[in-house]
Amino acid sequence: MTIHVLRPQQQADTTSTAYDSVWAGEEAGAGASTQQQPPQQSALERTMLAQDKIYVVLAVVLLVWLGVAALLFRTDRRLAALERRMDDTK
Amino acid sequence: MAPLASAELSEKERPPRVNLQRYRWVRGAVVAWMTAVLAGAFLLKIPRINILEHTARNLYFHVPMWFAMMAAFVVAGYHAAGFLRSGRRARDVRAFEAARVGTLFGGVGIVTGMVWARFTWYQSSGLWWNFDPKQTMAAAQLLIFGAYFVLRSALAGQPEKRGRISAVYLLFAVAVMPFLLYVLPRQMQSLHPGAEGNPAFSEITHPIMRVVFYPSVIGFIGLFWVLYTQRVRAAALEIRQGMMRRA
Repeated sequence: MTIHVLRPQQQADTTSTAYDSVWAGEEAGAGASTQQQPPQQSALERTMLAQDKIYVVLAVVLLVWLGVAALLFRTDRRLAALERRMDDTK
Repeated sequence: MAPLASAELSEKERPPRVNLQRYRWVRGAVVAWMTAVLAGAFLLKIPRINILEHTARNLYFHVPMWFAMMAAFVVAGYHAAGFLRSGRRARDVRAFEAARVGTLFGGVGIVTGMVWARFTWYQSSGLWWNFDPKQTMAAAQLLIFGAYFVLRSALAGQPEKRGRISAVYLLFAVAVMPFLLYVLPRQMQSLHPGAEGNPAFSEITHPIMRVVFYPSVIGFIGLFWVLYTQRVRAAALEIRQGMMRRA
């Protein structure tokens, strides 16, 4: 006969166990715990939440960089238009 | 660019001209290059070192700011010398715009350094600034360049005089840079690497980090060049507009 250890109520304890799917997802992403995994986790989440979520930072930085680069290109177009207009008037 | 009205102008008065083809090529290369550097900066695994942790990756961003600033100031000094030799307005404009973009990189370098230091060196003390020799000297360098802009705006009404005096001052400002950023900080106790006579990296810098660091330095210097050239174009437009109004 096996004696099953009585497990504490999960819902009551929000300090020591994950109560938010995001935190549980992080553990699963890092491959730490398979116990309290939410049933469904998309491939995107598995990727983004791994490695202490550094990929989220990478995504943010890349978006910022692409935004700045887009501004650079737009400013150049404006300068080129002005240059053309000045060449025409003279 | 078609031959402009300034063709009739004297050699000295002509606004700066930019090789647009080269500019576009460098711009595309810088955007692609920096995107790769950013990916490498976050994706490559680095050893986790106590206190530093993931902030070691700041090496890829904070330090290149200073390299870009130094490159910018050298370009500014080069054009200041060129202006003194030739008296061409285009060289004055280039010196000024290079100094301006360089100061931007220096300012970003100071602020990123403060943030980095606050959560590593000064983690438990809560300090943002503690007069580390390199910090202090870098701040002094930025103040010296700040005075350049003050000087220029003070002589705004006299473009001839402004060009000459500010070019001489700029040469001085560039000449003190190696002493403020390299020689003096290494004579003192500093938390920055290099104080022990080590030329560049700490002994704890993993080789993999150089794979990202050097391309990042090149990329940010390229970014400086793009921003600087863009500003030169805008300045040339302003000059041409002023000439049209006078005509």
